Amino acid sequence: MSPSAIRWLIGGILLVLWEVLPRAGLVPQLFLPALSQTIAVAIADWRIFAEALAVTLSEAAVALVFACGGGILAGALLGSVARLRGLLLPVVSSLYAVPLVVLYPVFTAWFGIGAQSKIAFASLYGFFPTLLGTAAGIQTIDAQLLVTARSMGATLSQRLRHVVLPAAIPTVIASLRLGGALVIVGVVVSEMLTSSAGIGYLITSYRTVLDSPRVYVGILLVLLLGVLLDLGMRLLEHAATRHRPSAVPRRAAPAI
Amino acid sequence: MKQALSERAVTERPMIEVIGLGHTYESRGVASRALEDIALTVQAGRFTVIVGPSGCGKSSLLMMMAGLRRQTEGTILVDGRPMLDPDPDRVGVVFQDANLFPWLSAIDNVAFPLMLRGLGRSERLDRASAMLELVGLGHAGARYPSELSGGMKQRVSIARGLVQDPPVLLMDEPFAALDEQTRMTMGEELLRIWSQTSKTVVFVTHSLSEAVYLADEVLVMSAHPGRIIDRIEVELPRPRTYEMMATATFGQLRDRIWRQIRSPQPGNPA
Repeated sequence: MSPSAIRWLIGGILLVLWEVLPRAGLVPQLFLPALSQTIAVAIADWRIFAEALAVTLSEAAVALVFACGGGILAGALLGSVARLRGLLLPVVSSLYAVPLVVLYPVFTAWFGIGAQSKIAFASLYGFFPTLLGTAAGIQTIDAQLLVTARSMGATLSQRLRHVVLPAAIPTVIASLRLGGALVIVGVVVSEMLTSSAGIGYLITSYRTVLDSPRVYVGILLVLLLGVLLDLGMRLLEHAATRHRPSAVPRRAAPAI
Repeated sequence: MKQALSERAVTERPMIEVIGLGHTYESRGVASRALEDIALTVQAGRFTVIVGPSGCGKSSLLMMMAGLRRQTEGTILVDGRPMLDPDPDRVGVVFQDANLFPWLSAIDNVAFPLMLRGLGRSERLDRASAMLELVGLGHAGARYPSELSGGMKQRVSIARGLVQDPPVLLMDEPFAALDEQTRMTMGEELLRIWSQTSKTVVFVTHSLSEAVYLADEVLVMSAHPGRIIDRIEVELPRPRTYEMMATATFGQLRDRIWRQIRSPQPGNPA
């Protein structure tokens, strides 16, 4: 069987177990409500979930623009200016390792519990990995390619546009993928902590009243959001690199 | 092209003139003398090879001729004008690594310099494909660098160096990264391309056989500081053949270069 067939099979088995185990009473319905029950709740309350999804999506979209736009700009700057890199990169790298979620209470104090604080927090969350990835991408550009372009009379702006940009694109998009995923995490986590709207808020409020089926609907929606975003980023990556066959020759994996 | 070839035979005029060139660079506050008292003239259409030990500054000298690096003293004239910045109208450069842009196909790599000049796409591709034809890769234009062998990449790089039709082609150890067989073939190919295009070629190498095989004239350099210690006119007839490498003349020329490079120079205790 091919790996993808096995994946589908495992997925199918899990879904069946999700239905059968709670119904057979092997797992308490409070821990895991049956699949059919979860779906029924999702259909019945679709308007509530759709509204929450819209809130979360719009927050994520704005945060994505801030995180990725800012991350790419700052990363390009840090990647190309050695002095700035020496000054700031150590700080940025250590900030990246800090659990930024401790800052969230401060953000709610500054921006209130509405969308602004979520956007600010999620932007910051996605900003650092995008910045670090972009800076690394710019730094790893083969300096010889730039010398070669210069020997052909390329001006600075031509070198940026025709050499630096295309050479950096794969790394930048890879870091966008990471940054984008963290933006979703940032939005949902902040909604769960202090909020009055969004999927994260719904999950938390249903959990406090022990409404497991609706909690699971919320979880499924967040999963879906993450998967869709990743798919979108992958398509972008594919579109940007489709004309570039893998630099590594494809070989059969060695048999062990 | 025939006409250009006969023109070369008739007109003797200097294409590259290096006058009183010296170079000192500073590293951690210590000044080092890299090039000293370099003077040379390359006549139009000639094939000149610069050979010398590593660290003798031969590649630096070539980069200065390309306008990619600035010397501290002296002047370099190419086609009668000072070479202060890269000028693809006068000089094409081929580097040790082919330095192809991995996101462009072979033909787009060759057309890249024309794109920088703002030429239309169809004219670009016409000229690029003619160049690929010249280097024997007319069939491989659509391939990406990752799909080409080392020798093929270097052919694409030569095609790219020639695509703007500059009178001078500067080559910085272009075959050093290739295996010996490919290297031999590339040498033959380069001589064929040279004879078809009437370019003035300056070729840097550390291979003595390659130097004698390719050159009209070999300039031998020593290190610390880099200076030209010998000029050898290679009188072997053209076209050069593989068999010539076994002749006594070839061996004598190679020996002469080797003795120059090996023997300690005045002021150089090594």
